[in-house]
Amino acid sequence: MVDLRPVLWGMGLLLAAFAPMMALPGLADWLAGDPDWQVYLASATFCLFAGLVFALGNLSQRTRAFSSRQIILLAVVGWVALIVAGAVPFIFGRIHLSAADAIFEATAGITATGATVLRHLDGASPGLLLWRALLQWMGGIGVLTVGTAVLPQLNVGGMQLYRFETSRLDDRLAPRALRMLGGILSVYLGLTVILGLLLWVAGMEWFPALLHAMSTISCGGFSTSDTNVGHWHNPGVDWVILVGMLLGGAPFVVHWQIVRRQWHMVGRNGQLKGYLAAIILASLAITLWLVLEQNAKPLPALRHSLFAVTSVMTGTGYATLDWSRWTGFPLAMLFLLTFIGGCAGSTAGGIKMFRVQVLFANARLQFRRMLHPNAVLVPRFEGQTVTEGAAESVLGYLFVYILSFALLAMALALVGMGFPEALGAAASALANLGPAISPDLGPLSSFDSLPDAAKWLLAFAMLYGRLELFLLLALFSRDFWQD
Amino acid sequence: MRWGESVFDIRPVLFANGLLLVVLAAAMGVPLVLDLAAHGGTEASAFAASLAITGFFGAALAFSGKGSGHFGLGARQAFLFAATGTALAALFGALPLVLGSRHLSYTDAVFEAVSGVTTTGATVMTGLDQAPAAILLWRALLQWLGGAGLIVAALALLPMLRIGGMQIFRVENSGKTDKAAPRLPRLVGRLLMVYLCLSAIMAIALKLTGMSALQAVCHAMSGLSTGGFSTSDRSLGAFSDGARWVCAVGMMIGGCSLSLFISRWRGKRWRILRDTQVRWYVATLLGFTLALTFWYWAVDSKHPLAAFQHAGFQAVSIISTTGFRLSDDQGWGGFPQVAIFVMSFIGGCTGSAAGGIKIFRYEVLFAVSRLHVARMLYPHGVFSVTFNKLRLPEAVLRSVLGFFMLYFSCFAALAIGLAAVGMDPLSSLSAAAAALGNVGRGIGPVVGVAGGWAMLPVAAKWLLSLGMLAGRLELVPLLLPFFPGFWKH
Repeated sequence: MVDLRPVLWGMGLLLAAFAPMMALPGLADWLAGDPDWQVYLASATFCLFAGLVFALGNLSQRTRAFSSRQIILLAVVGWVALIVAGAVPFIFGRIHLSAADAIFEATAGITATGATVLRHLDGASPGLLLWRALLQWMGGIGVLTVGTAVLPQLNVGGMQLYRFETSRLDDRLAPRALRMLGGILSVYLGLTVILGLLLWVAGMEWFPALLHAMSTISCGGFSTSDTNVGHWHNPGVDWVILVGMLLGGAPFVVHWQIVRRQWHMVGRNGQLKGYLAAIILASLAITLWLVLEQNAKPLPALRHSLFAVTSVMTGTGYATLDWSRWTGFPLAMLFLLTFIGGCAGSTAGGIKMFRVQVLFANARLQFRRMLHPNAVLVPRFEGQTVTEGAAESVLGYLFVYILSFALLAMALALVGMGFPEALGAAASALANLGPAISPDLGPLSSFDSLPDAAKWLLAFAMLYGRLELFLLLALFSRDFWQD
Repeated sequence: MRWGESVFDIRPVLFANGLLLVVLAAAMGVPLVLDLAAHGGTEASAFAASLAITGFFGAALAFSGKGSGHFGLGARQAFLFAATGTALAALFGALPLVLGSRHLSYTDAVFEAVSGVTTTGATVMTGLDQAPAAILLWRALLQWLGGAGLIVAALALLPMLRIGGMQIFRVENSGKTDKAAPRLPRLVGRLLMVYLCLSAIMAIALKLTGMSALQAVCHAMSGLSTGGFSTSDRSLGAFSDGARWVCAVGMMIGGCSLSLFISRWRGKRWRILRDTQVRWYVATLLGFTLALTFWYWAVDSKHPLAAFQHAGFQAVSIISTTGFRLSDDQGWGGFPQVAIFVMSFIGGCTGSAAGGIKIFRYEVLFAVSRLHVARMLYPHGVFSVTFNKLRLPEAVLRSVLGFFMLYFSCFAALAIGLAAVGMDPLSSLSAAAAALGNVGRGIGPVVGVAGGWAMLPVAAKWLLSLGMLAGRLELVPLLLPFFPGFWKH
């Protein structure tokens, strides 16, 4: 049996750190004269209290090292605890969401997914808007932490490839990884501030600018308007958010390397190249289609398709126009891009670019092996050998991802969703995209009309996708609970 | 650069293709005789002309390739033969459809013939109930021959090519006999015998349920080969409950590994009951049947037994990649549609005529996923994957996983291609899955209804023909010739 006390200690700390953040929307509402500030303050107090109970009750655990099972458990339990805590203001606030809706909204927030059950955002209280953006922004921190520090250590889906990157120079892994994590998080903070300023310069007011900056860099996608980014009708705003999403979906190690002027390391990053190439090719193809088939003007068509492709691949979900109402080729393309997702070590979701690249390297190798049955061939990625275990992990990840998608889509259909909605919503939730690539659940629509069972399923899928499937799956393995 | 020296000898490939076409020409004789004997010869000239053309080209190819001295196929030649043989059979098999009284366009005829030879069963022909008997028989024959060809290939060709982990089914590995070479032809002969007998039994059973002789023979041939061409526009919806049950059982057997039926004759215990692949296959069928039964009972408020019959037929029809229909699936609501879409990716067992990814690969994939979790918990542990109690080497795992990845890439490429030539996204996803898995039955308002495939754009039909071929050949033989290393030494 796994010793739960260190897990509870960690969870308590998380909750205690979460509480002050929850007070911020209270402050915003108080300044705006909205009575909801009391709800946020009460929730924050409660959250702080619960956190302290767990943390102080297990204080003796603070010096113990975590085993890999405890890390897995902490990742899952911590995320669930924050979802529940984050949902409290939605239930008791003025909007009075049902439990299913509140949990859905909080999950979509903290997993940086961005699907929403709310409508009439333009008139919502500033506290509510700030809380949704904050959830995504903190979720982004969580994703970066898990992606940099946890997944590579646990060999999840071939992420061990990224372990060597941190330990190539010295053996003292932990301090190096921590320093790296610190660097990455400060880059995250810095980029948020810069994006906020740029959006303000481009013509947004400072409050929506700040909120959009937070949910852009975390690849979240909560907006402050029902018409999303299209509300501003401002190409400048579009471009800033576009660049922000691009940065959010790129590996944060690269940003850290740019800050430290290690340009040669940036140039060697194969994942970054694949990511940019995929975005550019897909946008050009969609632009071409829009120009040829719908007689769109080339330049706006390029801006809109680049925006949509980036938004979908990074799992953000922002929209300058309702791209889910495109028909034919662009829609099929966006649907399949949902699966690819952004880069590992970013705030994006999906299968991740490096896995796709490893998969292609492996497929090429299979062809060569069929022609030369006795040759010794090794797949390579970014100049390093992909070990057998890593290649298998990547392929196993792909299988589990597709299988989960199929099961989720069937479950959604079973509780009453139609074929396109079920497929689109399943793909989108699993990839932490948010809006589905289907007209009824697109970026300008709300998920509020879905059956409650579908909301619970989707909330689960968002968490499952965010935890890279295997962190959650491990809990269901018999080996996990045995010694 | 001369052929045969700096590349590799393609003459055996030509020879084998020639033989294949001669067999096809001989098969055209069957509908020809039927037409002359029973139906006044309206299609006779078309079939006679096709027979002559096919026979001539077959003989010419066979003679041009004869001089090489040895007829054994190496790996590259086998790849090339698999790809060209299926394509040629489809091209020549389309001739009677173009020349016959139905006068299909060349696109439609090739689509129909490819759909036949690959045992897909997507049809562009409507008004089947009034179609000439010779044409109906020819469509069923194409599927039956395609199924036979695949069963032989799965035994003799694919394991040699190591496609997607098929090497574990090599004949040499499976027994303790001294010599491999003499065993293979004998096994192939037995397997074809089993195939023939099962078809005959199914035809008789169908006749007993009240079908006419022609309908019974056609459905037996396209059912056992998991093809799915019917003699009626309403597919099995036009026939009695008994016929549906017989077809369901036939499709289910058609999706099993036929080689497992041989063991009975050799005095061993029923190997088919102990084979893990067949167990998984039956379990998958049951799982989907129960889920669909629940839906039809709870949401469509059907009687439980009727719901079970409907659900079981659907599940068997799609998972065995046959594609017989009971009715159009419009207006059923979401779940059956999603279930059909998902089931299109499963496919039957290896060693059957079924298409798709195949059950044994799923067994391996599940085992690899379990391994992944174990590796997370025990980073330094040593683990292995077994299949039917045999330990699988690393190379097999990789090629199974590689195949899975390739399959989904091809699916994505095909779906995008179909959308680009003007199909709507839902139809293009569904059509791509149905073609690549050789299911032949799509969902939605276009490809989900009778005659829907006929309404597609011409470019889409060609893309789908290519997709059916790729799916039937397990992708690799069709892709490999485009790989630069293929033509180099």
